[in-house]
Amino acid sequence: MKWPPRVRPNKHTGLQGDTNKMTKLNSTAVIGALVIMSASMAVAGNVKQSRLNLNPGAVLTIVNGGGSVSLHAGTEQQVVINATTYSDKVEVDTRVTADRTRGEVITHTLSQQRPSAEDAKVDYDIAVPSGISVIVNTSTAPITVEGVSGDITVSSDTGQIVARRASKSHLHVRSINASVEIADVNGTHVEVTTAGGPVRLTRVSGPSVEVSTTTGKITYIGDCAGGGKYKLSTHNAPIDVFLPETASVDMEARSSEGSVDSDFPFTKKDHESYPPTGANQGRAFSGTSNSGLSSVDLRSYSGRIRVKKQ
Amino acid sequence: MNCEQLQEILPHVIDEGGNADADAHLASCASCGELAHDLKHIATQAGLLLPMHDPSPRVWNNIQQSLVSEGLIRGGRTPGSAGVTAFPQRVAPPHRAWTPLGSFIAAAAVLLLAVVLFRYTPSAAGTQAANQASASGDQQLISRISKGDPAVGKAYEESLKQVNSYIADAEKAAKDNSGDAFASEQLMDAYQHKAMLYEMAAARSTE
Amino acid sequence: MKIAAPKGKLTQVKKVIAPGLSEAEAIDRAKNGDAEAFEALYGLHKRRVYSLCLRMVSNTSEAEDLTQEAFLQLYRKISTFRGESAFSTWLHRLSVNVVLMHLRKKSLPEVSLDEMLEPVQEDAPKKDIGSPDTTLTGSIDRVNLERAIEDLPPGYRIIFVLHDIEGYEHNEIAEMMGCSIGNSKSQLHKARMKLREHLKFSRAEKTAGR
Repeated sequence: MKWPPRVRPNKHTGLQGDTNKMTKLNSTAVIGALVIMSASMAVAGNVKQSRLNLNPGAVLTIVNGGGSVSLHAGTEQQVVINATTYSDKVEVDTRVTADRTRGEVITHTLSQQRPSAEDAKVDYDIAVPSGISVIVNTSTAPITVEGVSGDITVSSDTGQIVARRASKSHLHVRSINASVEIADVNGTHVEVTTAGGPVRLTRVSGPSVEVSTTTGKITYIGDCAGGGKYKLSTHNAPIDVFLPETASVDMEARSSEGSVDSDFPFTKKDHESYPPTGANQGRAFSGTSNSGLSSVDLRSYSGRIRVKKQ
Repeated sequence: MNCEQLQEILPHVIDEGGNADADAHLASCASCGELAHDLKHIATQAGLLLPMHDPSPRVWNNIQQSLVSEGLIRGGRTPGSAGVTAFPQRVAPPHRAWTPLGSFIAAAAVLLLAVVLFRYTPSAAGTQAANQASASGDQQLISRISKGDPAVGKAYEESLKQVNSYIADAEKAAKDNSGDAFASEQLMDAYQHKAMLYEMAAARSTE
Repeated sequence: MKIAAPKGKLTQVKKVIAPGLSEAEAIDRAKNGDAEAFEALYGLHKRRVYSLCLRMVSNTSEAEDLTQEAFLQLYRKISTFRGESAFSTWLHRLSVNVVLMHLRKKSLPEVSLDEMLEPVQEDAPKKDIGSPDTTLTGSIDRVNLERAIEDLPPGYRIIFVLHDIEGYEHNEIAEMMGCSIGNSKSQLHKARMKLREHLKFSRAEKTAGR
């Protein structure tokens, strides 16, 4: 039995901020149409498709608990959402502001019906056209972002995060203790913060790559290309960096209590602030390779830092 | 005047008006007349375009961080206060509604951050206040998250333990090496990790 | 577990200019490092600054970085604002300079900004002589116009945005860009011609029912 579509009272009053006068050319009405997709009383795998019309530069927000979220580049102008639900105790809400600058896809559990984790999960497969910024937030659902460029913000408590094949983008990732894997991403501002989740970056380069964990191991395999700024830091987890001989880096590594070593053929240089002597011996080094184009900072409180040749 | 000659001076005609020859040609030549009309129309319509786009919340978050780190923001430091600079936005999760717990949690996180940033001469009272706020806030956070999903609650509990250990280590290092930029940076990093945990927790709510 | 659905507006940015706080007061307080005043000024002007940056660079990530930089520069320099011009004008000019500086940095040092932005020959608009066509009438759909502007080659787009959208005069543009007034006028004309091509093509596509 299909649930009839329900229309909720519109909570959105549209864009905030300026009180400029609107002209005929620009939308004055901010109606915010609300579309609710209801799950049918199926046993498993009930797939519903919906489409959102968003303008270039719009922001799409996706919120999910359990299940999965998979984002990939779309070939159409619309955002195409395929949502698979597994019970009728969960709904998928989608909405777009009248001026099409914001869209949302939100998993809404009907908590009065006390859904189990299995009941409440939703699997999303979302095709995103270029020019749309994306924000994804899940609790346990793993998130995969493939081939999507632009402004991407991804956070999950315990769901694994994988981001592949992006370029000239901004990628922000946060996790409590899930693993984060980023591969084949170039020309991108990358920012990753996790508490316990390990972070692995493979062939990742950008104007800026920053990874900070509390206890999550950081592994970087690549060439730190592009004349960018790379910063990897942990509290007590190991940091392993594997560079090819052709890497052009200016590297500084330092740990308060952990060991720092390298078998990479750097040209050593002296650093005024923390010369690797005395108390810092074995806990710091700095050196350049080739023309030292990219700056690389490796820091830990007590995590072991190692730099190796690929 | 022929079409080629008219188009040489067309930009001037559109923006500043033409001469008699130009006007005469425009009146008699459908193609040039349409061209001039279209270009004027485009210019006029463009002038009516209004700013319609807002940047994402991360822009303000980044600005805030820079303002704080550059010392452009001054908080009120009255005796007995922790010199809190009210930037609840800093820990506000993007596109989320605040629950009352969320507000408390965020305020506790901001308090901790502000204590680190603004106390130049740490006082026992200030440290105690910060630690109390921290422990109490942590417990509330864990209990709230666990109600919704015990497994996720455990993950937060474990992470909070680790982050608190990081903060303790970093505080000790900063105290032992006062003036060392590296130690200060680590302490900032540790608190930012804590703020991240609070921010992500505040995005969850249970019934 | 229920995920909190956002209530009310989609962003959590505080309402700008708190009750009883005028822009002038916010500026004064910001000069003294008042956090709330900074936030208020941001909220009031963010849309215009961001829209300007976005229209000039046609890339959301870049535009956000530039918006961030513009506001940071504003806050660093706010103590020097004496009220000789409107605050919004001052901020606007600062934002344009931030964008132009960014574009200069992107180009090779020995290439000037207008040279770097000069479109290649195939991007140049075609001359339109002796071929009457359907006129653009009525209001041009804003979305189509914005898209068309986005698709302009960078050199044309910047001049077009500065002149026709933002209202700068050619002498001001020439000064900002380090080019001649003639160059500014020529680029503007080419930008409009290019837009006309694009908009007519879009309309023809629509009419053809594609």
